[in-house]
Amino acid sequence: MKQTPLEMKIQARMQPGTITLSGFLGTDERHYHAIIAEDEQTLARLGKTAEEIADRLDYFTKASWDSFVTPVVIDNLYEVETEITRGKLPCPFTHKGIYRKAITTLTHLNNGIVLRWTTLNIHLIRDHHFFEGTGSPFRLDPEQVVKALF
Amino acid sequence: MLIVRDILVASAISGSLAVILVIAQRYLNDYGDCTIHINQKRDVTVKGGISLLGALTDRQIFLPSACGGKGSCGTCKCKVDNGGGPVLPTEKPLLNAQELAGNIRLSCQVKVKSDLSITIPDAIFNIRRYNAVVSEIVDYTYDIKGVTFALTEPATIDFKAGQYVQLEAPPYVNVKQKTIRAYSISSKPEDNNHIQLIIRLVPEGICTTWVHQYLQVGDPVSFTGPYGDFFIRETQADMIFIAGGSGMAPIKGMLEHLQMTGCNRRMLFFFGARSPKDLYLTEEFKAFEQVFPDFTYSPVLSRANPEDNWTGRTGYIMTYLPEAIHDPKHTEAYMCGSPAMLSSCQKDLLALGVPKENIYFDSFG
Repeated sequence: MKQTPLEMKIQARMQPGTITLSGFLGTDERHYHAIIAEDEQTLARLGKTAEEIADRLDYFTKASWDSFVTPVVIDNLYEVETEITRGKLPCPFTHKGIYRKAITTLTHLNNGIVLRWTTLNIHLIRDHHFFEGTGSPFRLDPEQVVKALF
Repeated sequence: MLIVRDILVASAISGSLAVILVIAQRYLNDYGDCTIHINQKRDVTVKGGISLLGALTDRQIFLPSACGGKGSCGTCKCKVDNGGGPVLPTEKPLLNAQELAGNIRLSCQVKVKSDLSITIPDAIFNIRRYNAVVSEIVDYTYDIKGVTFALTEPATIDFKAGQYVQLEAPPYVNVKQKTIRAYSISSKPEDNNHIQLIIRLVPEGICTTWVHQYLQVGDPVSFTGPYGDFFIRETQADMIFIAGGSGMAPIKGMLEHLQMTGCNRRMLFFFGARSPKDLYLTEEFKAFEQVFPDFTYSPVLSRANPEDNWTGRTGYIMTYLPEAIHDPKHTEAYMCGSPAMLSSCQKDLLALGVPKENIYFDSFG
């Protein structure tokens, strides 16, 4: 498959050791376009949009931003905490802007689903519909996300 | 046949254009020698075509840069008085309106294409590149290590307690390029042929993973420094130290320095941690209570379980600030930790009457 110089740059930035230690593709050997396309199909089947999911993730991140002492219980259904570590991350799609290394961990108190994401994940989902490749440490599976957050 | 001819013609045209482009780039991108006028008192000549940050680094002038020139950390700002060209879209997210109006630029994004005039703090000239070897690695907690480096070239470093260095992680395993990250110095300046850093393992962190999983005693390393203006002001004001996690590093350096110089000021150190397993160097900090005439160390746990048998303070550090501050106008606060903790503590310190200009902090970048 022929790629534009920008696509090649994006693909390179998604590799391990460039922006993050493990990269954004995990063990997934598909091109990021294929990953995005399949996840968009899943979302369509589930009746949700990437923007709706990003809004929901953003809601929990903001609600727990100051939870540096203890996790917060949100809507009597979720235990959420956000831990901020040193540094910031750029977007692999070369989109301008940088994202603080803030990791939000959400536990659904009824079904036990645990989700973990960063502020960069929210941007990747909202602006690029990219949930990361299978096996990536911060991959968010759309089915699990919808099951947990809606 | 016609199709084959068209393909050959198209290939010939695109091939010719590619050759022209390569030749043009070679000549058009040759900016020759360019002079950078620094602070109207020092000139350096560099080969044009590289970033301002890179050009200065080549001349042993080290602006802070925690991301290694990728335009993501925003720490390499400097004033470009002229010759910097227009502000790039990659710079704008990291510059506020005041900085943009004041000709502040990200030096990693400014390409040297002609003579430039820039203004940088004079302290930058004290920053050097150091080679060292790892002399000790200590596990402080399950995810925090103390790493000591013995300097080799230059053999000594001059810094103020609380300042930081930029450690260079070499390529390793899947990491194909050098990675640069900033860490506070946790040792005292009086031991000027060593520095110690306290480094917490960050999930997916390139540099912290290298330190925690690959770095060995005896390994050679390089860093630049010292950087930063987080250091103790020489007044007689009371001092409140607040830290969490690896944010203890600069406070440790400050207290060890004060032990050497002597200090009669009233001091309190609040260290925030989740549980007892996140505490470290507790005995060492309690020992400072015997060193200084008026020093108290107070670890505060946020998630102590009953089985921990923790009898110390719990909850938010902010809860204990009112009783800790006797004379707000005559109090200085030195804080290092997560932005959320610093923001909450700063808000409460201000509400208690501590002047804003007396609150110093080193946020997690």
